[in-house]
Amino acid sequence: MKKRFGRKRERQQVDVDITSLLDILTILLVFLLKSYNASDLKLDLTQKLEMADSSSTYMTRFAPVVQVNKNSEVFVNNKIIGRIPASGSLNSLTEVLKVEKSKTEKNNASQKQQYNAELVNLVFDKNMDYSVVQRVMHDSALAGYSQFKFIVKGNY
Amino acid sequence: MKVGRKIKKPEKLNLVPILDSVFIFIFFLLMSAQFVDVYEIGSALPMVQEAPDQKKSDKDPLNLTLEIDKEKGIVVKTGMRVPRSRSFASTQHAEMKEYLRELKTANPDEHTMILKSDPKLPFQSLISVIDATQEPKESKKKLFEQIVFDNSGVEK
Repeated sequence: MKKRFGRKRERQQVDVDITSLLDILTILLVFLLKSYNASDLKLDLTQKLEMADSSSTYMTRFAPVVQVNKNSEVFVNNKIIGRIPASGSLNSLTEVLKVEKSKTEKNNASQKQQYNAELVNLVFDKNMDYSVVQRVMHDSALAGYSQFKFIVKGNY
Repeated sequence: MKVGRKIKKPEKLNLVPILDSVFIFIFFLLMSAQFVDVYEIGSALPMVQEAPDQKKSDKDPLNLTLEIDKEKGIVVKTGMRVPRSRSFASTQHAEMKEYLRELKTANPDEHTMILKSDPKLPFQSLISVIDATQEPKESKKKLFEQIVFDNSGVEK
């Protein structure tokens, strides 16, 4: 029988240099911190909607979001509810907003976190005529909303 | 006799815990990041309320009204008893802002501005005019930050 004389090599622990990884992560962290938005409103833009540019820097707040895109389609909280008619008001918008308002009021009565039940966020395509803006504001007012916030794209 | 000296290896900083926390932080920021900066521009419904008991002032109320026309530009109207107006081209936003500053200096207690707009005016043009009538958020001096829409339309 052959005798083994070979000694087991001691395994050396390999040190991975993570300094460069940490550098990348720090840069990523700074970039993400810069783009962090403390607003409680999470906005998902619908298709065919280009927001208007503005120099405003006022932070958005949580409220129902009404969006009107290029095709005059109206969305409330990302659910399509119809199209702006050639004349007259969009009754379904008023009805849906009334439901949203009562939801907010119920939430305010039962939950600690309070939201402004008078506030509605409006997002219009930048090329939309003022007449459409006017009608949406009118229909929102009929649902009991008295404060309108136009949501715009910043850094203009 | 040789005395063996031990060479001290420089101790490596353990970066693993910091790396863990940075990873968690990055995930949190990635989930809450908004890559489009959205801000708001406020407007309110005109409110009717009883005037507080005050000494009747002989001063003509400002009644600041901006009429925005797609072709004619912007007309700034002031005064109730003695109406005055000044016209600006759609591109003269800086001149208009300077005029509004003068009006604010003369009427520091006035905060409301009435907007009358052409129904065919694109939303972007309306936002640009509103931007031109406001001071930056950081500025201590404010112009007429309460915007009220008058839906009667512009005089042609």
